[in-house]
Amino acid sequence: MINYFTKKRIFVFEVIWLSLSIISITEAQSIDGKWMLRLDGADQLIDNSITIGAPSDNEAAIIGELSITKINDEWMGHVEGGPVEVKIENENIEILIDSRDLAGFVFFRRLSGKYSDGTMSGSFTIEGTTENPEYGGIWRATRKEVKTRNTASNPRDLSGIWTPAPGVDFRKYSMDLTEKAQAWHDDYIDHYDQPNVRCVSPGIVAIVAWGAYPFEVLNSDNRLTFLYEVDSEVRRIYLDDKEPPEYYPASGMGFSNGYWDGDELIIETQMLEGNVRDFRGEPISEGARMHERYSISEDGDTLSAVITLLDPDNYKQPPIRRRKWVKNPTTEIYPYECDPDSFYRQMYNENKLDMYFERSHRRQIN
Amino acid sequence: MFTHNKKFKILLSLMLLNSSAQGHHSFAVEFTAEEKIAIVGTVTEIWFRNPHVRYYVETENSSGESENWDVRTSSPSLLVRKGWTKNTIKVGDKISIFGHPGRDGRKLLSVISIKLPDGSSLGQNYPD
Repeated sequence: MINYFTKKRIFVFEVIWLSLSIISITEAQSIDGKWMLRLDGADQLIDNSITIGAPSDNEAAIIGELSITKINDEWMGHVEGGPVEVKIENENIEILIDSRDLAGFVFFRRLSGKYSDGTMSGSFTIEGTTENPEYGGIWRATRKEVKTRNTASNPRDLSGIWTPAPGVDFRKYSMDLTEKAQAWHDDYIDHYDQPNVRCVSPGIVAIVAWGAYPFEVLNSDNRLTFLYEVDSEVRRIYLDDKEPPEYYPASGMGFSNGYWDGDELIIETQMLEGNVRDFRGEPISEGARMHERYSISEDGDTLSAVITLLDPDNYKQPPIRRRKWVKNPTTEIYPYECDPDSFYRQMYNENKLDMYFERSHRRQIN
Repeated sequence: MFTHNKKFKILLSLMLLNSSAQGHHSFAVEFTAEEKIAIVGTVTEIWFRNPHVRYYVETENSSGESENWDVRTSSPSLLVRKGWTKNTIKVGDKISIFGHPGRDGRKLLSVISIKLPDGSSLGQNYPD
């Protein structure tokens, strides 16, 4: 028979358990949703061999969108549209994010911290090998603000040559692929299937986020022209709602229209052909669209962009890239001539040419 | 209680097993991130073109046999901005190269640094 004191202990335990559950539910509801992550690494030297002419200070914060949901009692996290591991215990939170560096090496950022008063913050460490040193530091997440479109157009002057600047982009490695995209990607061999290894332009979705080469903006009536150094690509952005001509073919560069949302330039690109998104070779379907939002600093010297690929056939969540450039009047757009000799010669030397051509169908994506 | 995203954990496991298997210009699939070696040899052929500048270098291994290395660096337009032109290294030059070797024993080398015949360095400072 349970005595009075035992009953009292059970009652107290139940009250505590109930209180913790309520706190836990409240925290869960608070953590759910979209956040903006900012990572500030420790002081480091920026390698100017990659970022030509970019400032060598440490204004290289990494920024990304974090979304957290709870499905079937399990936390799900995404950063920039790609899955991340999330652990939550009361106010403690841990997030493991896979990224790749400029050389293509995959590494992880492990974020540990606490949730308090509507923000998350803590420190992060680096796990894995990178070409150049990556350092840990501190992180903070605040609620993502919903942007509403401005009615007044306030165009800014983007003309000039823009050189990539360090930081900003997470270079999130894995994306949340649909079953169809995953099946296709499982058989991807980047060394043989990647367009640029055989001197074929990778298309605007990859080029716009390329981390090494400058581009030039030319301003004219109702049109902006972007001249990319990489692959010597040209892009016309029509500011007057121009429609693609009849029979205009889908291509890697697509067809772009732009408009000014306040002082930010929005570019919408359609008519993209089947392609791969990035160096990892995830597919882009014909019919995908790309949305870009460009903003220029008050002094006109720094240009930033948020680039979102809209392709629900292949991605459960849209992949997001972020870029930053600095105006560089000391350089020019250099010629970019490409010769695939090294690509074919290596396969010839290794007796892999037959295998390469047997995979031709892998280089036609619909 | 800590919860786990099982799908992501599986993905991470696969990626850790294959952590260098994808990358820019398929760099990481061809070269080892973890390993760095140095070779000394004579330049036999130069391709100063995209997608990567390439030098063929003949070396002699410890058994006295000749080996041909395919040495790769960056894009020409990125190199020439730093003064590294197609005339900086010439056929016949004896150079030392420090870099990431190719996977599976292939005679590929991704350049971190090159020491020229006059002792000066290209890329990062040549290690002592």
